[in-house]
Amino acid sequence: MSGIHRSRIGREARVAWAIALKDMLTYYTRPPSIMFGVLFPFSLFLSFSIGRNVPIAQQIPVLIAQTLFFASSSIGPVVIPSERANQTFDRFLTSPVSLLAILVGKTIAGVIFGLGISVIPILTGVIFFGSQISNIGALITCMVLSTIGFSAMGIMFASMPGQSPGNVMMPLNFVRIPLLFISGVYTPVSELPSWGQVGSMLSPLTHTIELARYAMGGETFFGPLVNILILTIYTALFLFMGIRFHVMNQKKE
Amino acid sequence: MVVQPEYAIQVSNLTKKYGDLVAVDHINLAVNQREIFGFLGPNGAGKTTTIRMLTGISTPAEGTAKIMGYDIQHQTIEAKEQMGIVPDISNVYNELSAWDNLIFTGKLYDMPSDYRESRAEELLKLFGLYERRGEKVQGFSRGMKRRICIAMALMNRASIIFLDEPTSGLDVQSVLIIRDLIRKLNQEGLTIFLTTHNIEEASQMCDRVAIINQGKIAIIDTPEKLKRTVESLQSVEVAFETTPENAALMLGGLPEVGEVVKEGDKFRLFTSNPSTVLAAVWGYAQSNNLKIFTMNTVGPSLEDVFVKLTGIRPATESGGSVKKGQGTGQGRGKGAGQGRGSQ
Repeated sequence: MSGIHRSRIGREARVAWAIALKDMLTYYTRPPSIMFGVLFPFSLFLSFSIGRNVPIAQQIPVLIAQTLFFASSSIGPVVIPSERANQTFDRFLTSPVSLLAILVGKTIAGVIFGLGISVIPILTGVIFFGSQISNIGALITCMVLSTIGFSAMGIMFASMPGQSPGNVMMPLNFVRIPLLFISGVYTPVSELPSWGQVGSMLSPLTHTIELARYAMGGETFFGPLVNILILTIYTALFLFMGIRFHVMNQKKE
Repeated sequence: MVVQPEYAIQVSNLTKKYGDLVAVDHINLAVNQREIFGFLGPNGAGKTTTIRMLTGISTPAEGTAKIMGYDIQHQTIEAKEQMGIVPDISNVYNELSAWDNLIFTGKLYDMPSDYRESRAEELLKLFGLYERRGEKVQGFSRGMKRRICIAMALMNRASIIFLDEPTSGLDVQSVLIIRDLIRKLNQEGLTIFLTTHNIEEASQMCDRVAIINQGKIAIIDTPEKLKRTVESLQSVEVAFETTPENAALMLGGLPEVGEVVKEGDKFRLFTSNPSTVLAAVWGYAQSNNLKIFTMNTVGPSLEDVFVKLTGIRPATESGGSVKKGQGTGQGRGKGAGQGRGSQ
């Protein structure tokens, strides 16, 4: 390869994309991806929304946010432990590419999965329940930022030692499910006590729901700029922590 | 002008610790370019841990490792561009076809598409898998997966290839194909770093071997020189047409015999003085009216060196063993790479 000069950043981007494509091809249809990424958010939504006196159209932003949250954060915890178990993750570690590019590749796989699945509630809301998208830019920002952040969150959890998706999904769900209760999914943030509002502000899911509501003409508590800022901070934090955990793993290996 | 480094692999004080356990303890070694270097040791000696540090999977606690002159910790990308790795299990993507496995590997090395396709085709033909390139690897036999794994390691035209137990658990045909391929790759200029449990394989294939035990390098030398360092492990092998019950005990009592090991229908008498033992065995047979079926002198094998240095007997055939002044115990493993001279 000595005669082939290619820029380092371009090379890293191409390898990250190759990793993402491979993950899409091999892991999207795996049962844990379907169960935790698709069935889980839809089942949770149905179990909490059926019987409530709230119009479905108003609940669509919650379903969109839950779908983005669960689908994006499920791919990393399925892919990385499976690859650790059959040692294919070592292929990345021994290839001439940075750890960041590897994890970005894994994150992209989660992002595309989350974006693809979240189209279902958006189309369902618009076609069948009269939901209206009043700010398409906010919706796209919400979807892109949230999928990157939540996918990076899944990668961060998957960076902890473990060789089966179950080992990662369990601690991840210990975090994901309680977040539903403080993020304005079932109780609006404005109706939470002050300590609950602080907790709500710290939850990344709150800002996804708020941005989705804002994009569909609803009201927000923190405002879209705060939502975008906090989601951006979480994305950077999750990626940084994911890399740190992997470096720690390599020292323990 | 590109300056070639002196060594393909240069390891200095490489150390790995897991808590209080020192898995690899300040090892030093240098592998010459275009050399087949064998890395032998019992289970848990630190072979795979060493390979994992050399290939960048694991971070050492201390020490340095250079691959073609590049420090694996500080010039990681450059060092990894020089190597291909075949781990102890075939870590192929079972869900992908043979072709896609190679193409994906090419993408990891950022090879241009036309180049990676021509290389994949070349390797699949070389390994006899081109006709099955479209099939998912999960349907392949263990030997075929191993060949795919080696082909993946060769995609980037590496200078060094790390092979961790490449023939372990394979059928005879696959073993022969892979050994032949390793020799061919070496003849083409590739440096091979080979870990194996198979001492016969190391003896036949390697230019030099290192024996690692309890995380420390016990010795590094050519297989033949290593055998010469343990001249005391020369032996006389004898089989009688009918073997008396107390033969092991009696043979153990002959002059200059250190240890007697029963190997199948034969006895192996370890000695530093084979000629005296040959005469003594002849005398013993004459005085007891025993007909000698075969009698050979046997030089020390690499396995004998391994046993002497590590104190661990490889899991091969075992029989009764008698040392001077002792009863029967566990036998020494069957010799490998033996230099014989019929008497």
